[in-house]
Amino acid sequence: MGYLKYLVFRILNAILVLLIVTFIISALFVKVAEESNRSKMYEELMMWERTEGAKIKQSQGLEAFEQAKAAKQASLEEKYELNIPYWQKVYKKALRTLRLDFGTTSMPIFGTNNVSDIIKVAVPRSILLFTTATIIVIILGIFLGVRAARHAGSVFDRGLSIFALLTYSLPMWWTGMMFLLIFAFKLGWFPLSSMFDPQLTGWAHVKDVLWKLALPVFTYVFVVFGGWAWTTRNIMIGTLQEDFIMAAKAKGVPEHKIIYGHALRAAAPPIVTMIIFALLGSLGGAIISELVFNYPGMGRLYWVALQQNETNLLIGLTYFFTVLYLAGVVLADMIYGFLDPRVKVGASAKM
Amino acid sequence: MRWVDVKEGFKEFLEEFKREKTGIAGVILLVILVLVALTAPYTTIPDLPEKWRSSAYWEDNPKNVPPTWYNMFTSQKLVPQEVYYINDLKITHPSDTRTVIEADYNFPDRYILGPQGIIIRGLNVSVGDPMNAPVFDLYLLRPDGKKIPLLKNKPLSAGTISVGRDSTISANVYIWLVNVTEGREITMFEVPLQTILISDMVAPMFAKVEPGMNVTQIIENPEPLWGNYKLVLDINNPAPDKNKIILDNIKVTFLGRSYGTMGTDYLGRDLWAGIIWGSRVSLTIGVLVSVLSTVIGLVYGVTSAYLGGNADEFMMRINEIFASIPSLPILILIGATMGHITLMFIVLLLVIFGWMGIARISRSMALQIKEQTYIEAARALGAGNGRIIFKHILPQLLPYAFAVIALSVPGAVIAEASLSFLGIGDPTAVTWGQILNAAQNQAATTKGYWWWVLPPGLGIAVVGLTFVLIGTALDKILNPRLRRL
Repeated sequence: MGYLKYLVFRILNAILVLLIVTFIISALFVKVAEESNRSKMYEELMMWERTEGAKIKQSQGLEAFEQAKAAKQASLEEKYELNIPYWQKVYKKALRTLRLDFGTTSMPIFGTNNVSDIIKVAVPRSILLFTTATIIVIILGIFLGVRAARHAGSVFDRGLSIFALLTYSLPMWWTGMMFLLIFAFKLGWFPLSSMFDPQLTGWAHVKDVLWKLALPVFTYVFVVFGGWAWTTRNIMIGTLQEDFIMAAKAKGVPEHKIIYGHALRAAAPPIVTMIIFALLGSLGGAIISELVFNYPGMGRLYWVALQQNETNLLIGLTYFFTVLYLAGVVLADMIYGFLDPRVKVGASAKM
Repeated sequence: MRWVDVKEGFKEFLEEFKREKTGIAGVILLVILVLVALTAPYTTIPDLPEKWRSSAYWEDNPKNVPPTWYNMFTSQKLVPQEVYYINDLKITHPSDTRTVIEADYNFPDRYILGPQGIIIRGLNVSVGDPMNAPVFDLYLLRPDGKKIPLLKNKPLSAGTISVGRDSTISANVYIWLVNVTEGREITMFEVPLQTILISDMVAPMFAKVEPGMNVTQIIENPEPLWGNYKLVLDINNPAPDKNKIILDNIKVTFLGRSYGTMGTDYLGRDLWAGIIWGSRVSLTIGVLVSVLSTVIGLVYGVTSAYLGGNADEFMMRINEIFASIPSLPILILIGATMGHITLMFIVLLLVIFGWMGIARISRSMALQIKEQTYIEAARALGAGNGRIIFKHILPQLLPYAFAVIALSVPGAVIAEASLSFLGIGDPTAVTWGQILNAAQNQAATTKGYWWWVLPPGLGIAVVGLTFVLIGTALDKILNPRLRRL
């Protein structure tokens, strides 16, 4: 099976998942919206009864009032989409979501009501935070992991392993809270809130952003790099025992070249997949970490949407998270299949 | 497999496990955790989850104060909580109509502030003669000989007298402060509103107050006056035959500026009790979720591998679909829209989104086992699919399953804590995530309430570490490939 065919298959798979998730989100939210819309409709009907309805009752009698009320109710039901069946509504909503038509929020966020515009402001901020952090983690993790693998069993290796096990059990957002307590509250080195200053422009804005990014990035790196280094170490130790490394050593290839030229290249496929899945995994953690740091990205926006019951924004954000995530999955598969041709003939040979 | 083989294998495994220092450490931690979780009702407060949400239950506790042991590490010492019951109080009857209740309170040297407040409750009064209802005076005698009149000629009722939360008492303290420092008498109406509502009016009662000092200065920056204080409740009951006052349940509490083992939160809840109880939920959810998702993943993966062909393709597509769904946003959405959430529902959600990885790995393992001759022999002898899967393939994956179960506990614990932290948790349970959620809502980090933030997270970390230690040790023994490391 060719690489292209494999790729097309992966993309079709991702699109199928996207359809399913969109359907789930719509089904969930139509249910919520139905309840609030029904109460809104009754409220409006009551208002009508007290004003116009009362007038009709007085001038034209009870029968005319009942007729007018029924007509009013029907028109309101149409307005709030209460007259069409549940699944039809879900279908409509899903279709609109797939077309990126998310609608508007009831309250302006970032100075606009349009959900697409709000997301457009927040996404780059989240990506900035987590890309910066992940790049640092990758560099640190690979470098330290390789070092530990070269000196397996040394004090450095053991220390790294213990550190990795410890940080593996820490929730990132709790570490963030602790770092806020220590570095922002007690020592005052960093700001307590990472909300950007909207008045700044140009160089001052860049400086402000960097200053506010520092603590969240530091937290992310602190929690994640240990596990990274540890996994790299384990993969490298496995690779260093392979025959071709022995052969290279016997040939007299310099150790530096063996490690970074031969071994690391052989260990690249799992590490690259790890990189992509680390980026994807950070999206989930971002929701709470951004909330803790009061960082104005997607995660905090998600929280605000939940709190203010902005269903349209929630749908838009979830859809966006899913698209980003699936794009990552496809990208990982792409790179993995490229680096390691066995993937295509192995698990998915029959496809 | 014969029983003897199982016993031998287990013995061998134990021997090897004993050599893994990290594994032993993990098991010790696990035993401690289980003991703590099981004994929570006896070591702390029984039925805590029911009491946790009622703010009335915690009224006798100070709010937002650090643990008492923190005093050992700081020069700014904070007084602990002190409670007086009937036997700790001095009760005298100077005449038939009068009852005087005295509480001796020592404000120890080198402490920076007095108590956060004083609460008197448990006075049982039944008035039979409303014309001659009992009245009382409440005052505080200070070591410098000054007397602060807190309440004068108040009708005695069965309620609570609360110094520090009662605005009349706060106003009276202010009037007394002005009287001592400036020598003039002011009325209730001259007391600034902000003083009554916002300022801490208990600290000045235990501070140096001399003529000529500035009142605002004393309120804002009270200088401690150490020594023995005496709180006096002087009850005058003109008709002792008709009005009954029973003091058996009386309880006088000098609220601390520090409290217990872990301090208190914004409602005065004992955080230590909450954290101990939180371990129950954390352990239960962690173990339940990881066991269930491992079992489901194993069976799913093995079945998929064994059936092969189209069935395998179909099952793996479903697996991929689940694996490609970003779980946390979807979990939050489902949690937020479903409304009523129980712990079992959270377990269910976490299992639904947690079995995919294990299914994948066990499938690839089962694919190898499937090709072995004894499976073919079993099939030739007429064994059914179910029998081959459950009797011949699954048992071989069991050792691997134990390591996976242990290693996936931290993820489940963190996932539950994350959901609770976002406010999507079982409201009837006390969990670490919910404690942290309250801390976040009350901006505990930006106010420096470390005792509220640090312990729940440490709890999560300890549970995680326990299972990671056990899991990696198991992995090393049971996965021969890693034994070389």
